[in-house]
Amino acid sequence: MATILINHVYKRYSSSKHAVVSDFHMEIKDKEFLVFVGPSGCGKSTTLRMIAGLEEISEGEVYIGDRLVNDLPPKDRDIAMVFQNYALYPNMSVFENIAFGLRLRKLPRHEIDQSVRRAARALELDAYLDRKPSQLSGGQRQRVALGRAIVRSPQVFLMDEPLSNLDAKLRVQMRMEIIKLHKTLGVTFVYVTHDQVEAMTMADRIVVMKDGLIQQIDTPEAVYSTPANTFVAGFIGSPQMNFIEGRIQKEPTGRLAFHTSRFAIPLPQDIAAMLERHGLIDKRVTLGIRPENISLEGLYSDAVITGIFKLDELMGADRYLHLEIGQERLLVLRVQAHIRAVEDEPLRIVPDMSKALFFHPDTGVRFA
Amino acid sequence: MRLRLWRRASRLHAMDGFQKVLLLLMIVLSVFMLLPIVYIFNHAFKPYHELFVYPPTFFVKEPVLQNWNELVAVTARSTVPMVRYLFNSVFISGLAVLLVTAASALCAYPLAKHRFPGYKLVFAAIILTLMFAPEVVQIPRYLVVSQLGIMNTYFGHLLPLMAMPIGVFLLKQFMDQIPNALLEAARIDGANEFTVFLRIVIPVCKPAVATIAILAFQSSWGNTESSALFMMDEEMKSFAFYLSTLTNNLANNVAMQGAAAVAALILFVPNLIVFVILQGKVIATMAHSGIK
Repeated sequence: MATILINHVYKRYSSSKHAVVSDFHMEIKDKEFLVFVGPSGCGKSTTLRMIAGLEEISEGEVYIGDRLVNDLPPKDRDIAMVFQNYALYPNMSVFENIAFGLRLRKLPRHEIDQSVRRAARALELDAYLDRKPSQLSGGQRQRVALGRAIVRSPQVFLMDEPLSNLDAKLRVQMRMEIIKLHKTLGVTFVYVTHDQVEAMTMADRIVVMKDGLIQQIDTPEAVYSTPANTFVAGFIGSPQMNFIEGRIQKEPTGRLAFHTSRFAIPLPQDIAAMLERHGLIDKRVTLGIRPENISLEGLYSDAVITGIFKLDELMGADRYLHLEIGQERLLVLRVQAHIRAVEDEPLRIVPDMSKALFFHPDTGVRFA
Repeated sequence: MRLRLWRRASRLHAMDGFQKVLLLLMIVLSVFMLLPIVYIFNHAFKPYHELFVYPPTFFVKEPVLQNWNELVAVTARSTVPMVRYLFNSVFISGLAVLLVTAASALCAYPLAKHRFPGYKLVFAAIILTLMFAPEVVQIPRYLVVSQLGIMNTYFGHLLPLMAMPIGVFLLKQFMDQIPNALLEAARIDGANEFTVFLRIVIPVCKPAVATIAILAFQSSWGNTESSALFMMDEEMKSFAFYLSTLTNNLANNVAMQGAAAVAALILFVPNLIVFVILQGKVIATMAHSGIK
């Protein structure tokens, strides 16, 4: 049983007043796969290192299970950690690397031998036990690092960008292995990454961070479909969500519509009601819509935007079209790969307004 | 074998003109550096008329053992047997290698990997001491040894050697290269600070440790200062000191030049042996193998 309670934790470095992590508060459930995601410098690694005990906690408490661990050294926290650069001991063989933690616990020799071999078999490292880390490939090194963590059967697994040094193909493969590992071990995983795809594919819950502040804690689905603010909306999902600046206005017919200087899009009833509830009529808002929720004009629609086609990116099955619609940034929509458009020609597109999100133009907070 | 020869040749082939010039320069330089060693070995076997030949020759023409006999004869006359001096030197040098590397490493580790108040000042002070010529510190050293009451003891030989700023500096620079993640991984694995130091830091720093071992051996083996200044009893003095007394003031003297030549060789050989044993480690570049 290892829930982790992070109770209003702050991290400040003595040299500056500025907090690297501010008021981090959440409970990580037992057996959960939790992912911290955010751009570099957002404090996600620092938070992980505070859980690990590698970084001092300036303010607040961290509980692992029901133990307060603020002043416990890392070795007494019953955790294992996998580092970005693997951090294998270069002077030891693969076997010794995996066995090091067990040896320090003075386990009997046959027991060490057994658990190292079991871990090595699970990670397909049996053939390399006598090698030095320098004789292994990146993927193998990463597996040794994982092996070193799992033999100790800790309560909590901490991973600090473990896949970012691997090439793309290997990364996908190791991602699957880590998910599998989590299922078989049944312990709490805390995983740090800057890659939103990793976060989406692996996490039970995602913590999105920016500038040391939690932006949102939710399931991958919820973070994707109902982001808390424009930062989360823009960070999660690729290509990025489109943001369109405009104004909510009441049409003569009584319906609400989203107006920009170029076009107006009528809004569906439920969204209109929500916006009205927030008193947003005649106010500026930011509309957010994902590329897959915009389509080329069909038979009939009343919400049509005309954009000038600028460029496209072929992704294999899909093609991303970039359109100029009088905003600061080009609008991106995802269409099937066989669709081609002519450069600088107008193109009529239809956003699915039932999937549209509205954000405060200044604070970026989503209206719900 | 043939394959290897062919490979060597191909490597030479792959060099451009500049590299070939450099190679030639290095060969000339290394031959030049080798000359004193050749000279020492040959000198010890020269008969008297060759020792004083002008211009001096590098290679001995008629090698004889007469100089060795002369040295044996001289040492037989000394009050303290030569083996006692030899024992002193071996004992002191062996301990010095251990203590100097241990002290340097223990000093360098916190300087490299721990941030304690004033660590910059401590390191700056150590660097500063690199600038003093040994003669400058002779009197302070004498005062320290005498005030500590360790005159005429083995500790009096060892203590002045133990502060080797170049060793601390070298190891600190080396330890700076060790990624922090490596130490953190060990700490999470359950290692305490000393285990991290002994099982991770020192093995990774092996080349630097070997270098310091060589330096420590050389400075203690050839050391005559502590015998001259801190030792009163003849049986506490070192082999190097003994040999220097044999050959002192011989600049304009014909007698005992042969013994002096042999003495120089005997003093030199252990240095060579230690270097040959450890040089593989020194040259071995640190493989940051666990780290990408």
